Amino acid sequence: MADGVQILLRRNRPGSKAKDFCRWPDEPFEEMDSTLAVQQFIQQTIRRDPANLEAILKMPEAQDEGVWKYEHLRQFCMELNGLAVRLQSECKPELCTQMTATEQWIFLCAAHKTPKECPAIDYTRHTLDGAACLLNSNKYFPSRVSIKESSVAKLGSVCRRVYRIFSHAYFHHRAIFDSFEKETHLCKRFTYFVTKYSIISKEILILPKLDDETPITQPVGESEA
Amino acid sequence: MDDSSVSHHNGGQVGSQIGVSVNNKQNEESSQSVQYSIPGVLHFIQHEWARFELERSQWEVDRAEFEARIAFLQGERKGQENLKNDLVRRIKMLEYALKQERAKFHRLKYGVELQQGDMHPPPDEPPQEPEPAERAQWKQGHQLIKQYLQEIGYTDTILDVRSNKVRTLLGLTNEEQAEDPSYRNCDKQQHYSMNTALSRKMYDYGKERRKAGVSQGGGGYNEEGLSVQETAAVFANFEFLANQEMDMDEDDLDAKQMHHSTGKQGEEVDNDTEEVLNELNLLTESEADSGGQGDEYPAVKFPHAGGAAAGTGEADEKPLALGELAQLTVSNEAEGYDVANASKESFRKTWNAKYTLRSHFDGVRALAFHPTEAALVTASEDHTLKLWNLQRTVPAKKSAGLDVEPLYTFRAHTAPVMCLAMGMPRSEECFSGGLDGTIRVWNLPPPSADPYDPYDPAVQAVLRVACDSLAHRVRSHPTLPLLVTAHEDRHIRFWDAVSGRCAHAMVAHLDAVTGLALDPNGLFLLSGSHDCSVRLWNLDTKTCVQEITAHRKKFDESILDVAFHPLRPYIASAGADGLAKVFV
Repeated sequence: MADGVQILLRRNRPGSKAKDFCRWPDEPFEEMDSTLAVQQFIQQTIRRDPANLEAILKMPEAQDEGVWKYEHLRQFCMELNGLAVRLQSECKPELCTQMTATEQWIFLCAAHKTPKECPAIDYTRHTLDGAACLLNSNKYFPSRVSIKESSVAKLGSVCRRVYRIFSHAYFHHRAIFDSFEKETHLCKRFTYFVTKYSIISKEILILPKLDDETPITQPVGESEA
Repeated sequence: MDDSSVSHHNGGQVGSQIGVSVNNKQNEESSQSVQYSIPGVLHFIQHEWARFELERSQWEVDRAEFEARIAFLQGERKGQENLKNDLVRRIKMLEYALKQERAKFHRLKYGVELQQGDMHPPPDEPPQEPEPAERAQWKQGHQLIKQYLQEIGYTDTILDVRSNKVRTLLGLTNEEQAEDPSYRNCDKQQHYSMNTALSRKMYDYGKERRKAGVSQGGGGYNEEGLSVQETAAVFANFEFLANQEMDMDEDDLDAKQMHHSTGKQGEEVDNDTEEVLNELNLLTESEADSGGQGDEYPAVKFPHAGGAAAGTGEADEKPLALGELAQLTVSNEAEGYDVANASKESFRKTWNAKYTLRSHFDGVRALAFHPTEAALVTASEDHTLKLWNLQRTVPAKKSAGLDVEPLYTFRAHTAPVMCLAMGMPRSEECFSGGLDGTIRVWNLPPPSADPYDPYDPAVQAVLRVACDSLAHRVRSHPTLPLLVTAHEDRHIRFWDAVSGRCAHAMVAHLDAVTGLALDPNGLFLLSGSHDCSVRLWNLDTKTCVQEITAHRKKFDESILDVAFHPLRPYIASAGADGLAKVFV
């Protein structure tokens, strides 16, 4: 790079070491001029410290809240893939024949024309695939800069289903859940997220509060889920 | 119903939606006690709607396929027509040559002019008598040259210049003549270097042809004469090319000199101008005579009977055909140019975005086409790989738009997937390398797989752990010993794989070049860059044929990979914006 001295390029070049991946100085949000600025910002904050939920979920000023929530949900679904990978090795269709958390509910997989009693691992995969499909749908989310109010409403059902993956892992594959959580703080962040923006009603959040306490701010509005 | 959990113990849950909805249902059922419940009707409507949507999307796919088919067939038809026209032209010329031969033979044997209808040579222009046969042969030689030029792919430019020259000579297009010099000049400049390079080959080719003609020998006068004539024609052309930068007069002179120098000419060959003029005269003459085409000479019948296929049609449309023939040189060349141009045009098709593959949550690092099917696999920083079937849109659920939905999501990497390679044809395997330090082998699910099928662990066949360090993009040419590399410094470099020398280097993009792909025939090169553009290059001329702005930036990265389908007309690009695009 001839001009690499003056200009900092945030790039992963071929041959980079894994530890150097995305290891560039943070870019201030105001200077991000890309249409993917929100995703860049969120990932940058997570990379800095995945445990710092306050920082991760502190919305920049003048940011459209719909897009903010949408981008966070994309990030959750993306990172949940890691949990799904771990579950694939342990959560067998013969053992977890149904998607359950507590004994109280069987969750039906909504990815099919008529909701089906998929085994837990299939439910997990189908739900993530369905979420990827919805969140990338040209119809509901054609832009990553502004989002229709009606589409923002779709986020609720995705959150609700995605939360069941956490709860299944928690109640049936606790070891996997714990090691994953220790690494990513994903469930904590998710809980904090849905509570902060009142995306899911509190009754549905069946997981006990996770070990270290994060101050959960009071919901702003009434739950609509 | 949007939600889908069902109360296990139907007791206490009131806060939950489903509990409520189930209760509602029960209430409705009990209170109305009719066969149709509102949820039932809703469900039915929803179901029907989904079915219609599905059918509609399938129809659309069918339609697109048929349209592509039509376009393909039309192109093929056009090609066949061009071929047909060319062949008909050749037949006409051969027929004409045969007639001339016969006239000559008759004259030599009986010392009398053969009164043969359309063949009748102009009585007031006896010196031109030997010309027709010669002309036909010249024409033949010319055809061979043309064929050769077409083979090497420079036909359009040369023929264009040629036709312009002829036009000038004939003074047919006066208005064009006015602007001719400048036109020719520019042409000359453009093609001079090419021509000099060509002339050498042409020379060889001419020699070869002559040898072939001689060795065929024995066939007698005709073949021998032909070969000589061919050589002459080749040389004439050669000379023309070599002297293109010269003036017309010089050209003529040179042509003449050349003919002399070959020394094999039995007959005195005139210069280009006279030839062309003679040709024109002859043709107009024969056109004039065509009305009096007599049946008094059985010999005249013969060629017609012989060349039945072309002859019959030709006889009917004689005036028309000759009208066409009168312009033979000009229209021929013009047509030749058009044909070449058209075929080149269709060959040099522009690519249009057709599918946007949305499903990745983060940048798409790499993609690879299926070796045979219209399918591809993408690898993303969101830790997954996805398989897409371009010819089958997945049943559109209520949440799906018109986008292509991935057929399968490969989950096993625990870090961004960085690179991807498809196995050998029929192996149905693909390999991926991730930032987690693993290389994984996947069995591709069949193209008929449903994304919501049960999980089959067999998809992930083997797990090999290795340290995967990514190299710069290197692609090898499918037929030549040529390597192409993409560089951070905006260059694409070409390397001679034998000598290891850099054959060519060019600044190809405004920013780092990140992706490279060569088409299966080795004629085109596709490159992607962080400048957000995909460029298509003609490998022969190293010129950019098309530029497509395809992806948006994430941080300072934009396009991360490009690919050509090994068999089908698809190209694809993968971007840091999480999208993959397919162009047809």
